[in-house]
Amino acid sequence: MKLKASQKVRFETGPNMTPLVDIVMVILIFLMLTGSFLAAEHFLVSNLPLTRKGAGGVAQATNIPLDEPLEIRVDSFTRPGPDGVPQEMWAAQAGGFMIQNSREALTKQLIRMRENFNRNNTPTDRIQVVINPSRITKYKHLVEAYQAAVEAEFTKVAFSTAH
Amino acid sequence: MKKLKIPEVHDMHPNVTPLIDVVMCLIVFYMLVAKIGVATGAVPMDLPISVWGKRLQDMGNTITLNVIRPAVGDVPIVTTLDPETGQIVEKPILDTSRVPPRRVLTETLTFFRKVNPEIKAIIRADQNIEYRFLEPVLICCAEAQVKNVNFATRVAQQVAGGE
Repeated sequence: MKLKASQKVRFETGPNMTPLVDIVMVILIFLMLTGSFLAAEHFLVSNLPLTRKGAGGVAQATNIPLDEPLEIRVDSFTRPGPDGVPQEMWAAQAGGFMIQNSREALTKQLIRMRENFNRNNTPTDRIQVVINPSRITKYKHLVEAYQAAVEAEFTKVAFSTAH
Repeated sequence: MKKLKIPEVHDMHPNVTPLIDVVMCLIVFYMLVAKIGVATGAVPMDLPISVWGKRLQDMGNTITLNVIRPAVGDVPIVTTLDPETGQIVEKPILDTSRVPPRRVLTETLTFFRKVNPEIKAIIRADQNIEYRFLEPVLICCAEAQVKNVNFATRVAQQVAGGE
């Protein structure tokens, strides 16, 4: 018995796509393996690395004496939660107020302080926010305070040596 | 009325056109989004989360400092990319094996700053690291007069979406 299909003449007018598919697949696998995505990160920008505090402190940058300092003192601590498990907390002191575990409340306080500065003819770009952590303050809690300062539209934010 | 028939297919091969379409789309995506051959020296770590970060447009003028908590002691382990070898190398804060002790990280940052005055430092650290480990790195940046310091953070939306 002869197969009917084998008797038919086949016409392939298009180009042979096999080499193209091979090469394209190799390129695709190469890009998938070697590529790295850094788009998931962004940065909190500081205009100066550090200011020294206390007696005998030395200003590190020339712009420090010109700016009005605004200090935010940040501390990390643990407190027993309702189920007895210790909870990580942070507290920030700014302008005589203490705020615990709330970036929104700290932002509001910083906005009030910025508006006071502005009312006294100090422009925002002349205010140097200085975050003053303790030696055991967690980095993530510093970032919370930092974000509050940025959210309150301060342009100059830096860290000081630990209190 | 003449009945319309589906034309008989003479080609025995599968239709690869949709495959090529999809693969080409993937290649274009990877070429646009992925960073290939751009070694920044970033070590994967659990970065703090932020919503107010900025994207750095110019990653060419940056030096990445990975700050790692040591097993013992208060001196952090700092690693960065060696531009000559392309390897991530450790840069000790203080090399006490020499007299007087060498401030290796400060010297490295000073060298980079002299080569490129617009150099920016990118600090990457675990979100739970204490400030006492970050402080020496910031002091080194200040001593080397690197004025622009950027703290790497994770984008908040990605965490909410189930990273």
